[in-house]
Amino acid sequence: MPLEQLVHTVSGTAIMSRRRHGPGPAVVCVHGAGVSGREMLPFVRELGATHDAWAVDLPGFGRSEKPSAPPTLAGLSDAVAAWLEESGLERACLLGGSFGCQVAVDVAVRHPDRVAALVLVGPTVDPLGRSPVRLVAQWLRNSVHESPRMAPLNVADYLDAGPRRVLASFGVSMRDRVEDKLPYVAVPALVVRGGRDGMVPQAWAEEVTRLLPRGRLVVMEGLPHMVPYRDPRGLAREVTAFLGEVAA
Amino acid sequence: MRPGKAVASFDSATGMLRALARFLHDRDVPLIGQGPAAMEPAMSALLGAASRLPRALQEKAYAASGWAEAVPLRRVPEIRSEELARWVTGHYPRRRYPVAFVGSSNGALVHLAAAVSAPWLPQTLLLPVRRHGVHPDDPRGDLDTTRQAGRALLDANPDLVLHHMHDANQDRLMIAGMTYFRVKWRRLPQAYARFLEESLEPGATLVVVECGLRWPSTRVGPRHVFQHGALGGATPEEYAHGGPRVADYLRRYGSPRRAWDYPPADGERPEAEWGFEPELLGELEKLAERNGWRLARLRFGEPEDLSPAVADLHRSWHERRGLPADRLLVECFLLLEPWWALRSGSAPFWTVFNTEASHARLRSYLDAADPYDEIRLTLFSHGVDSVGLAPIDAWRELLARARKVGVFTGVDTRAYPRDFAVLARAHRQLARIRTTYPMPLPLEWARAEEFLGKREELELRTR
Repeated sequence: MPLEQLVHTVSGTAIMSRRRHGPGPAVVCVHGAGVSGREMLPFVRELGATHDAWAVDLPGFGRSEKPSAPPTLAGLSDAVAAWLEESGLERACLLGGSFGCQVAVDVAVRHPDRVAALVLVGPTVDPLGRSPVRLVAQWLRNSVHESPRMAPLNVADYLDAGPRRVLASFGVSMRDRVEDKLPYVAVPALVVRGGRDGMVPQAWAEEVTRLLPRGRLVVMEGLPHMVPYRDPRGLAREVTAFLGEVAA
Repeated sequence: MRPGKAVASFDSATGMLRALARFLHDRDVPLIGQGPAAMEPAMSALLGAASRLPRALQEKAYAASGWAEAVPLRRVPEIRSEELARWVTGHYPRRRYPVAFVGSSNGALVHLAAAVSAPWLPQTLLLPVRRHGVHPDDPRGDLDTTRQAGRALLDANPDLVLHHMHDANQDRLMIAGMTYFRVKWRRLPQAYARFLEESLEPGATLVVVECGLRWPSTRVGPRHVFQHGALGGATPEEYAHGGPRVADYLRRYGSPRRAWDYPPADGERPEAEWGFEPELLGELEKLAERNGWRLARLRFGEPEDLSPAVADLHRSWHERRGLPADRLLVECFLLLEPWWALRSGSAPFWTVFNTEASHARLRSYLDAADPYDEIRLTLFSHGVDSVGLAPIDAWRELLARARKVGVFTGVDTRAYPRDFAVLARAHRQLARIRTTYPMPLPLEWARAEEFLGKREELELRTR
């Protein structure tokens, strides 16, 4: 089934999103550093059967317009909040993947009225791994477990964003102290970790959950960092169960 | 025969002794106390690789590890109980303790002793004995082959009772090339008495730990009994008469039999591994009286009766210290981490083994307790799809009771119950826990005594 492609203009920047409009509440997927909503599309197709599922390209990434200034975390999360308003989603569940978790958490803390729930899949960055060398090592260690079919998508994303913006987004990810914000997330939050995620140590995933006042952890065994791409169906099952509990 | 060589390394009593002694030395327990933490990554990789071997090879490796640490039959008479006792007491730091424990092995007791910073002297040790040519499902053959050695051991050690144990269910792999001699002291060895006199001040408390678990067995000779199976997944009736679960198990393992043929039981006696042999009590009472110690008797019916009480004791202690008291650490058999339980602010709940009965005990504890935010669970793997083994999904269900984090700690769920790497990974993963707390000062025994004294499932009487 083809996905809807939509473009909204937010603060003068055209933002691209894709959607499968299922009957349930809205879930908006926010992608990781340097990439785009492309990696989320298998998951959007899956979840869209039951939910109003979206994948948005952050400004400067994928098919969204490129602002002249380099990205900042607050800028990205303000853009997501404004996009939510522009696209008529009153309160949505934000699902972050990797760096997208940092954006989603920032939105939840600074624009709490926009967010109904959070799903944090492979939340970065572990404070104990916060150095360029460690990040590269973790990325390499994890990449052997990722699907090789994802590599061309990554390359396309990096070409779209350009090397400077890709690097800048890694820098933003590394400098953001997400652990300081987690205690201020008021909404229910599901943390998902792939059991073989080389970028998100188990102890950090546990700590993220502990710091979230209403957090819960699910470990999906055998999966790498990019759970939404590798097991869209399994993740959709977890998200559906979580949102069912939240609604109840 | 060196006592450290005679005693089994991979046994409850030794594992508990090592865990507690290391705690009293202010150390944690990497590699179940058998090696330095620096070896952990290598051992984790090695044992992890072993968990991926073809099953037949794994089972051979497991059996070989048991055989390798067992005592040759002809050397059994060289074992001296006094040397064993000296070896036990040699584990502990020499200092003054306000309280000491003697008696039954128990994982929850290890946490209790760690909390009050006290040593525990086991009444029971396991001496694994090598023997050949006996099928695991042939208990009579096992007894016949090792009867002489048992008699010789007892002749040389009049202070011991021998519980020869044959568990063709859970120990299937281990008993391929060895058998289980569990010895219990019925007289207090001098090394124990000396250690206690050097460690306890007048007015201190000596606690006798008395697990009342009994099991069907056959008298072989004076102080020598043969136990039919053991506490775990199968019932005494199943060991004696078989049943559909036993027949199915034996078929799965390609055994020529469909039930076991134990010699007829002539009574129930203290269970070989956990039960307390009451003959020892008299000498402990006299020793306490002579030294002006209070003597307390901590009595309970089954090993896991102590687990809820000790978990709740820790939880209330953590609360009093202003900790969130929202973490539960579920441990299994000899996987014990008193140091990290306190460091992480966890209440420890000990399960005897990975069986349905232990699973049910944990479930009823969780039913009754205020919910925990975090539950971490370790599972011992004994390599056998034995009768009464609780499957991984059953444990997963209990983890879902956690409000926030319900996770296996160091368990390879795909490999269980052939997950040998858990011996390295349980500690390794637990030691990575974030949000830790300063080590508390020891809990006063008076507080623990008051708390435990109110529990209905236990009896704690002090004289």
